[in-house]
Amino acid sequence: MSALWSNISAILPLDEAHFPLLFSDSVDSSVVELLLRCRQRLYADMAPNPQNCALTNAQIITDLSWERLNTGTWRDVDKEWRRVYAYGCLFKALALCRRDPSPEIVRQAVRTCDMGLLMGASIMDNVLHRLVQILQTEVRRATEEEVHREPNVQAKKIKLEVPPAPVIEKTTAVPRMHCPSLEHFKNNNLLTKQPVILVGIINHWPALNDHCWSLEYIRSIAGCRTVPVEVGSRYTDEEWSQRLLTVNEFIDKYISAKVEDKPVGYLAQHQLFDQIPELKEDIRIPDYCCLGNEDEDNITINAWFGPLGTVSPLHQDPQHNFLAQVLGSKYIRLYSPSDSGKLYPHESPLLHNTSQVEVENPDVERFPEFVEAPYLECVLKPGEVLFIPTQHWHYVRSLELSFSVSFWWS
Amino acid sequence: MYWFGFGFNAFGQILDSGKRAQGDDDVKSSTCLTPKRFDHVGEREEKADRQRSLIGTKRLSACWSRTASLCLHGERRVYLQGFGADVNGSCMNESLGCKDALLGERYLTLGFKNKVECWDVQRRGPAPAWSMETPPEDEGASLRLPLVPGGYIASKPPFYRPLSPQLKVESLALGAEHAVLLSGSGTVYTWGIGSHGQLGHSGLTPEKEPRPVEALWGVRINSVSTGGWHSACVSAGGDLYVWGWNESGQLGLPSQAMRTSQGQESVKGTAVPCQEASTATAAEEQKAGESQDVFISIQAFPALLDITESCDVGKVSCGSRHTAAVTTTGDLYTWGWGDYGQLGHGTARSSDEPLCVDFFRQEGLRVVDVVCGPWNTFAMATKEEVAQS
Repeated sequence: MSALWSNISAILPLDEAHFPLLFSDSVDSSVVELLLRCRQRLYADMAPNPQNCALTNAQIITDLSWERLNTGTWRDVDKEWRRVYAYGCLFKALALCRRDPSPEIVRQAVRTCDMGLLMGASIMDNVLHRLVQILQTEVRRATEEEVHREPNVQAKKIKLEVPPAPVIEKTTAVPRMHCPSLEHFKNNNLLTKQPVILVGIINHWPALNDHCWSLEYIRSIAGCRTVPVEVGSRYTDEEWSQRLLTVNEFIDKYISAKVEDKPVGYLAQHQLFDQIPELKEDIRIPDYCCLGNEDEDNITINAWFGPLGTVSPLHQDPQHNFLAQVLGSKYIRLYSPSDSGKLYPHESPLLHNTSQVEVENPDVERFPEFVEAPYLECVLKPGEVLFIPTQHWHYVRSLELSFSVSFWWS
Repeated sequence: MYWFGFGFNAFGQILDSGKRAQGDDDVKSSTCLTPKRFDHVGEREEKADRQRSLIGTKRLSACWSRTASLCLHGERRVYLQGFGADVNGSCMNESLGCKDALLGERYLTLGFKNKVECWDVQRRGPAPAWSMETPPEDEGASLRLPLVPGGYIASKPPFYRPLSPQLKVESLALGAEHAVLLSGSGTVYTWGIGSHGQLGHSGLTPEKEPRPVEALWGVRINSVSTGGWHSACVSAGGDLYVWGWNESGQLGLPSQAMRTSQGQESVKGTAVPCQEASTATAAEEQKAGESQDVFISIQAFPALLDITESCDVGKVSCGSRHTAAVTTTGDLYTWGWGDYGQLGHGTARSSDEPLCVDFFRQEGLRVVDVVCGPWNTFAMATKEEVAQS
């Protein structure tokens, strides 16, 4: 038995009896039958070439449950089918790794686990998380043996792209404050819903120190992991779409590629830190979140990673937000919810929290009142955290390669 | 006349294990890559029938894990093959005397002269899960399931859904989340979920009630079919129209997802409208596809699809993500998702171009009908000589 497989066995139930496969009536018995076949194969002695058969059955399960996940609207999809999908991904990844897999096959297994994590429901006490961590260690071991990439050429290129930062007038600038006390922040910002940039509150993050986030570092921690990437300038555009790519593919294609007019790709609003706990260790939940009413577990942490020129159209969110800038800088515009009437939200229910106005190039004929709406603005720099009060409208444009972390809390 | 099947066979729904060639292991048997004679246990009876020159006209209906066949002569009975059936297929005794049958993953609908019944095929009980008396039909009118007098039978409860008598329904095809209806005047109506353009109204919004497909206005349509997220119909003049999702090339139009072989890896909501692209005609799109420029993800209104230059289309049927059409010259063409061999070209590859299934020509067979299961395909063929004589 390979070392990899013995590591994997350790996270699996001892035998079939301890590996329940129970589903509600909404899952067809034919599908349950295939899942049972997969489980049986997993614990069967090494029959002649059991791998292909297990792989075929697992593929059938992921193909069918994928169809179910794409039937009807996402929120109406029965959770049981998301569980089936996760089991399919588990069995597929296991079948791939059963016998001394090549590094390429292990990468494929990582991809499979990520698909299960992204689209499936949590199963067996988060077994996909535990499996992917073992596999990632294996991938890293294999890549360390390979020659390292040439890092410096691309870094230089990116620095050249930096445009001059917009000039921020004093009258519209978001105020900055150095490590205010909880009490001060509560009275002057939280209760009054006043935006503020908090300076010096994340200087201790490993992401800004010994684990300093860079393209190379992110590649080394997350390179082989599959993430959703938004392609298109802004999510309100017709051509906008979402693709699944590995972090390495994303960096190669949308950040490092030396192609002019390449489409904008943005790893946006993704709970990357749940998917890759190692990255979560590099950041900390701001202390100020304890002023909220909810438990720390209810704080949503999202990653926003992309090249120069990503744009989040003017929109509002239902929770408070701490937007922490780790890498690069972003231009941000803020409008108070009391001025919503001048911001022309979309009429469709899906986009009703988004303004129709192009903030930096408004159509004054269609949206005459927009120019009258007062606003605050800033260029958020590494190490700074912007407090965006709940319902405050915000527009965000990256001025260079950028990585931000947002904390939604109430 | 014989039925042939190919594609997904993990439950022996095309070729059961008893008839599998020796040495076939599990892997091979989960798919049939080329057409195989489709036989059910009624073989012995069929032989007897053949002697009485009632050469088997069977009606087939396939769900994901099973196939149902109904002999249209002699003692009318439904045979089930595949998941949960006996090795040699099992006869549904309760079906004796039925005139039509339609199989879903959960329920088998049986149409009798004066009643319709839905049987739970996952948990067989002594009585049908649901039944309804139907008024005896006029001799001339013969509604095919899922249609019943006054309405249709859905794949899950509530089974009976009424339809407006003003539609004068000719036939009805039900997808997982949308429906395509053909009226007596040859007009196509659609309703249900439209997120992938499967309704053909140019938008992606859902429709609660049957709405005529305006783009087909004035074209007399003869038959309609639905896949998982796409739709197809054939006009009286033998033209084929397709619309909906092209994720695996099931529309026969250039599919980017398929060519980058990441079809499976798309997230929910990946399919984003590309209505601008779909304003081009199908022919233009195909030309553009050759230069790798224009790909169709969603075709939100009917596109004319030329599968061959020389002949017309007689019949079309859609699987979950593939499509099959029979030409008036007796050739079978397939396209779309092919991972389980459902295209019948001897490979497990997808194709976004219609390709002729060579098997039938090579065997001197003329294809006369086609019925797709979700992941497999069944074609009825006859010896060329017979057809000519």
